[in-house]
Amino acid sequence: MIRAENLSKVYRMGKIEVPALRDVNLEIEKDEFLAIVGSSGSGKSTLLNMLGCLDKPTSGAVFIDDVNTASLSENELAEIRREKIGFIFQQFNLIHSLNALENVSLPMFFAGVGRDERMKRAAELLAKVGLEKRMHHKPSELSGGQQQRVAIARALSNNPEIIIGDEPTGNVDSETGNAIMDILKGLNSEGRTVIVVTHDAEIAAHAHRVKRMKDGRLLEQ
Amino acid sequence: MKDVLLLAYRDIKERKARTSLTLLGIAVGIAAVIALMSVGYGFEKSVTGELVEMADLIMILPGKASLGGDYVELGSFNERDLKDIERISGVKEAVAMASSMEEVEYRGEKTVVDIIGIEPREISAVFGDIVKTEEGRGLRENDHKTCQIGHSIAKDYFDEEIEVNDRIKIGGSKFRVVGILEKQGGFKSGIDSEIFVTSGDAKGILGNDDVSQITVRVRNIEEAEEIADKIEERIDENHKLDDFTNAMTMGSAIEQLKTVFALLRAVLIAIASISLIVASIGIMNTMLMSVMERTHEVGIMKAIGAKNRNVLSLFLMESGMVSMVGGVLGCVLGVIGANVVSFVIGAAFGEGISAIVRAEVLLGGIAVAVLVGVLSGLYPARKASKMSPVEAVRYE
Repeated sequence: MIRAENLSKVYRMGKIEVPALRDVNLEIEKDEFLAIVGSSGSGKSTLLNMLGCLDKPTSGAVFIDDVNTASLSENELAEIRREKIGFIFQQFNLIHSLNALENVSLPMFFAGVGRDERMKRAAELLAKVGLEKRMHHKPSELSGGQQQRVAIARALSNNPEIIIGDEPTGNVDSETGNAIMDILKGLNSEGRTVIVVTHDAEIAAHAHRVKRMKDGRLLEQ
Repeated sequence: MKDVLLLAYRDIKERKARTSLTLLGIAVGIAAVIALMSVGYGFEKSVTGELVEMADLIMILPGKASLGGDYVELGSFNERDLKDIERISGVKEAVAMASSMEEVEYRGEKTVVDIIGIEPREISAVFGDIVKTEEGRGLRENDHKTCQIGHSIAKDYFDEEIEVNDRIKIGGSKFRVVGILEKQGGFKSGIDSEIFVTSGDAKGILGNDDVSQITVRVRNIEEAEEIADKIEERIDENHKLDDFTNAMTMGSAIEQLKTVFALLRAVLIAIASISLIVASIGIMNTMLMSVMERTHEVGIMKAIGAKNRNVLSLFLMESGMVSMVGGVLGCVLGVIGANVVSFVIGAAFGEGISAIVRAEVLLGGIAVAVLVGVLSGLYPARKASKMSPVEAVRYE
């Protein structure tokens, strides 16, 4: 499903080179629920950005469904993010001027889905995450947990096979965090690949497999 | 399309003050262009409109005349020239006029005025209904030592206004004023400062029977140019001189004037365009700020699958919308401005000009506004669309 081969990423800050990823090899199966843990600065978010086609590696390659993403154009990468991957961020990253329904329908809008169908599916997805009564609220009128659920609904809008969460429970209390992990587990049981980055061992315990990162390397267990 | 519009509209709504100022900038630019063009068209119509009534006239002057300018006088015509012109086919009437600058005295006050000698029955043949008498009567065939005076001569030339039946001295001999002409203004304002006498009296004043101008009325306006050429040829032959005669059709005068006005309009538009350039810089500035402020948002959009062109069209739509609304507002302001300007001109010069607002100018104004908006939005929008998703999403 997803395969990282000899993945390296070096950030340049002026004249100093900062290696964020060092020769990472990783294979993630379909239906898998993987947690990547590590302290901040360990490179786990950088790895997640590579796996989610948000960023390009300095060397090495990410294969999604055996397609080498390094060979794809910006537009083709955007298409993969749109169709195959759903992102959930620590900061929720909703668009403030749009209400919950519109936020959820945005990826479908970029995919060219008609308005009526979009709104119908967005409403269904919001109902699925328990927000049917909050559909017309702006993000600023929602709690952190509710915003994260809107973000999850948005991640699902184009029915992707892969869900990527970058500290999805980092900005909510532990009770809400557990509720969000339950939703992610549910998505995994629907047959979606779920990859979550966290520094919280309790959250990681929900996953099938846990990988630990340190100094840009994936530790062998 | 509709959804992009909605999205853009929401973003605009979030920053009302800044957007309104940008919008006002483009509105003022468009208004300036529309107002100046409409006043220009109105001015053109008021000048050429009078000429159109005289389109079947050919003015024949000795020497190379140029419109509105001085001409080099090479001599004068004579009776034979007049007879020859009358024989050219297509000529309905040919009228000879003598003219000369003479000293005119009224109640002890002296000035120099253009005296025109013309056969009374021919006045109506040439001028028809164009020049009307305001007070008194026109000249008559058997009038002796009488004159008809232009409006300005009666009202402005002397300290005291001249009334019908007053006596004035022309070239030393006394004349009775039988009529005062209506105010002409515009292109025919020359007539306001002229005194008309009979051909017989003109000979007495001038001391010769030279003809200084012949005016021809043609049967068919389409033939005017052709007839004018024939006239030039015939009279040049009579005087054994090349380019002695200048026969100018009113039609060609109108064409010439239209060229002048087109040039004038172009200059006005060029001036007004400066405000459009300023407005376009304003749009670019607003859009750049908007792009910068929304870097994080652009990052989110790209992370969830927006392609570069999705982002590009969103920002272009935004600047296009602002400038289109600005363009429409500019049309409204432009029409108001055009009427105000023509009113002020009317009040200041006593010459009424009504601005002509053309639909194509308004539509063009809106089109230019949208074009300016989209073009100046292009750079900021491209900048937004090229952002790296991961960096943009991290930007707070």
